Amino acid sequence: MKCTECSYEAGVSSFRYLYNARIDASMTLRQCPQCQAWLAVDELAGEARQRVTDGDAPWGKSAGIEGLARDVAR
Amino acid sequence: MSTCAECKSFFVREEEPGQGDCVRRVVDPRQAYYQSKPVREDSSSSGCESFQKK
Amino acid sequence: MVAEPARDGSVQELENKQEWWWVAEKKRSKRLDYLRKAVWKKGALGGNYAPGIKLDLECATLFTDMWNFWKYDPIMMRRAKAIAHVLDNKTIFITDHAQLVGYFGSLPHTIMWRVDGASMVNEEAYNEPGIMPEPEQESLEKVAKLNDYWAGQTAVDKVARILDPEDAVKFLSGAIGWGAPSSAYGYSGKDYEYLFAGKRGFEDIIEDIEAAIEKAEEKTVGVPGPEILDIYDRLQNWDAMILVLEAAMRHAKRYARLARTMAENFETDDKRKEELLRLARTCEQVPAKSPRNLQESFQYDHFVQMFARVEAHEGAWPARPDYYHGPYYDKDVNIDKTLTKEEALDLVGEFMIRAYEVGGFAPRWAREGLQGITGTWVWTLGGVNKDGTDACNDLTIAFLQAARLVRVSNPTFGFRWHPKVKDEVMRECFECIRHGLGYPSMRNDPLLVQNAMHWHGHPLEEARTWVHQACMSPCPTTKNGVQPMRMASATANCAKMVEYALHNGYDHVVGMQMGPQTGEASSFTDFEQLFQAWTTQMQWLTNLLVRTVNLGRYKDPEFFGRPFLSGISQRSVESGLDVVSPVGDRGNCWITAFTWVENIDSLAAVKKLVFDEKKYTMEQLITALKANWDGYEQMRLDFVNNAPKWGNDDDYVDDIMIRCLQATARHSHVMKCPSGNNWPILPENVSGNIHYASIVGALPNGRRCGDALYDGGISPGPGLDKKGPTAVLASCGKIDHIADGRAFLLNQRLSPTQLAGEKGYQLWKAYIRTWADLGLDHVQFNMVSDETLRAAQKDPEKYSEVIVRVAGYSAHFVDISRKTQDNIIQRTVQGI
Repeated sequence: MKCTECSYEAGVSSFRYLYNARIDASMTLRQCPQCQAWLAVDELAGEARQRVTDGDAPWGKSAGIEGLARDVAR
Repeated sequence: MSTCAECKSFFVREEEPGQGDCVRRVVDPRQAYYQSKPVREDSSSSGCESFQKK
Repeated sequence: MVAEPARDGSVQELENKQEWWWVAEKKRSKRLDYLRKAVWKKGALGGNYAPGIKLDLECATLFTDMWNFWKYDPIMMRRAKAIAHVLDNKTIFITDHAQLVGYFGSLPHTIMWRVDGASMVNEEAYNEPGIMPEPEQESLEKVAKLNDYWAGQTAVDKVARILDPEDAVKFLSGAIGWGAPSSAYGYSGKDYEYLFAGKRGFEDIIEDIEAAIEKAEEKTVGVPGPEILDIYDRLQNWDAMILVLEAAMRHAKRYARLARTMAENFETDDKRKEELLRLARTCEQVPAKSPRNLQESFQYDHFVQMFARVEAHEGAWPARPDYYHGPYYDKDVNIDKTLTKEEALDLVGEFMIRAYEVGGFAPRWAREGLQGITGTWVWTLGGVNKDGTDACNDLTIAFLQAARLVRVSNPTFGFRWHPKVKDEVMRECFECIRHGLGYPSMRNDPLLVQNAMHWHGHPLEEARTWVHQACMSPCPTTKNGVQPMRMASATANCAKMVEYALHNGYDHVVGMQMGPQTGEASSFTDFEQLFQAWTTQMQWLTNLLVRTVNLGRYKDPEFFGRPFLSGISQRSVESGLDVVSPVGDRGNCWITAFTWVENIDSLAAVKKLVFDEKKYTMEQLITALKANWDGYEQMRLDFVNNAPKWGNDDDYVDDIMIRCLQATARHSHVMKCPSGNNWPILPENVSGNIHYASIVGALPNGRRCGDALYDGGISPGPGLDKKGPTAVLASCGKIDHIADGRAFLLNQRLSPTQLAGEKGYQLWKAYIRTWADLGLDHVQFNMVSDETLRAAQKDPEKYSEVIVRVAGYSAHFVDISRKTQDNIIQRTVQGI
């Protein structure tokens, strides 16, 4: 998986697991071990989708990251 | 040497000779209040930053 | 994106936009506005104290000095003298505009430090950044000196030394429960029937004690025999009670003197001068004598609470203010007309503010578990009188109105609903909920009265006096019913039951064998084997916690001692025993069951996908759980989405809930408290679901280690209650809320848009009727939109007054951690 911020690349489990966006979605929050950015991660695809910050689109069901993971979009 | 009894903040307790209260107004970042702490009238006030001679 | 708060709009505009925090600011009196904003908020933000909050070293030093001086006294007397020294010498203050006084710390921004409670907490105090008064180095040296003195001789140190070593290690691991087995921390019920219904001031109590002493002394000069030997200890205890009650009266008179000094020497405004003189007269009257009016009644109650907090760290505030102060409201406002409704509302609001500002130093785990607040001050409103008639009165309404004006997150209210509650009172409850306070929680009074009789044998009339002992648990305010010590040290992290059942009792998070070895789950061939393992783990976990607390309770009079609390409790006044002694206590224990529903959803998922459908093997499941589901995302989603979940009126999983509760209830009758009474469970969470997020491993309900647990009680998992509010109620209604446990917390989120106006009220009222008909004992609501909460995350400064219901308590949204905020947003907004 590649960090969207600093391009650090490693297996998903190398990115520190923080917590889920919601239990029934494959979207989680993980932290890049290199730049410490919080990332929204699609666990099914094993891909970081975007950085998560305070503000308009951090995470959560009304947070603007719905649809980023395949299972939620369906 | 000055004593608490000589200070403007000192209020003697009528019912307890020698005892009094040090009553001061404080304004902190959130509220203003009066505080009170027991003192003896013959306590030394040297070193007390709030001492104000009556 | 929600519009920015329009604090400059008219009240009507603000109400239309449901910006209740600005509505409150505009509607409340200048006095309440000043006093509300004057509060130094002691609740930790996430887990950290706000800038400016300082540790109170004055009281800790005064207490220690005198404790050390009287080292040869019996413990009750020694503590009484130390407390008296604090009360006689600590700094006191009167805030501008205040009509009620009393703070247990020395200054408004200080947090009380229970220096004799636990060495490990003292070490945390030393290491906590930012809370040392200036000059910091000097304060650190003082704290180090105090810590050196108390090391090894605090109440918890003493209990820890006599615990079974294995129990101690497991209890202190932090994995299976929390709390401190000592009355140094926790909470105590107050014998309101003795103090308020009995119209006793401290002078009256001292007369009662002196009569008891006289009677006892007749025996000590009589015929020798074994029955008189323990009277000598009781005489010492009575003396300690008198000593501390006298100190409390002197302390109140210090406030009276300060108020007079201010009036006579400093105050120039005639109206304020008169207020100060009235305050002086109030503090000359109470607590020495019983109150004569509403102000004195509030002041008396507040003094009692403060003195108890000088004696011990109290994390809850069991009270029933409308019931015990209501007659004075009626007299002042309706009969004598010495107070207008507006003036009374000012007093009620200030009474709440005085409680809001109270806060003691708490260790980090407690701050994380109770984010944003300093304890669960859940005050009880409504309910019935001892004869079963409606107890709601004008003061009930005044409290509900004042709550909307002061908008504090502590105290909150639990409302004892019953079928005779008048519509005007229900409307006031609803307005508080609609205004986004998250309280009152609604409690089913007839059912909880029966519950109190079922579990603890409280007689009907006593059961009807019940108050919230903490967040949820009902407890009478009577001589034999009042509970003097927090028993929620038996606070169980219940998700560990299923976790240990799946891992042969081994805890992969803390890395040690915790529970009994109930077999390798990978070899289980049917659900019954798993359920049996779960039952064994449940019994082991609850046994361990209860053993620890029972021992702490039994030894508390020897290790800690409560002279003040004893002095205001009828049974101690009569017996001369420390009120914490189990003698004379009927028993009212409960196990706070954190993280309960994870058991149900996990067991159901395993039953369905492994044993019924055979889609996965137990071995595959255990492997995935040990990997924290990493690399097993599709399987994890299957366990979440294709297994039945609690809260959807699905008998498959609901039956498992009932089985688990009934198994636990059977065991609750087996475990006994020191009084010989039962230990039922009470599922609820405070914010323990966040605290335990990194302590509970991966589970078959689909959670990973790190994820917030469900928000607690019998609330369905956030977002997993997909069939609407009626299905949630139907699931919860399958539980026997009398025989299956002590109480059951239910969180629900409702839509502020749907519940606007009269139609909204009628919808809510119908919902409550259904809730009651289905026999649920508790429900509480969040009625703040996702948009507002998300805007508050982005711009906390602008939304600093948004309040949410976390679990058994409310908090300002901006004071809780990001993870907790996100967890609340995840909860389903139910359309009703």
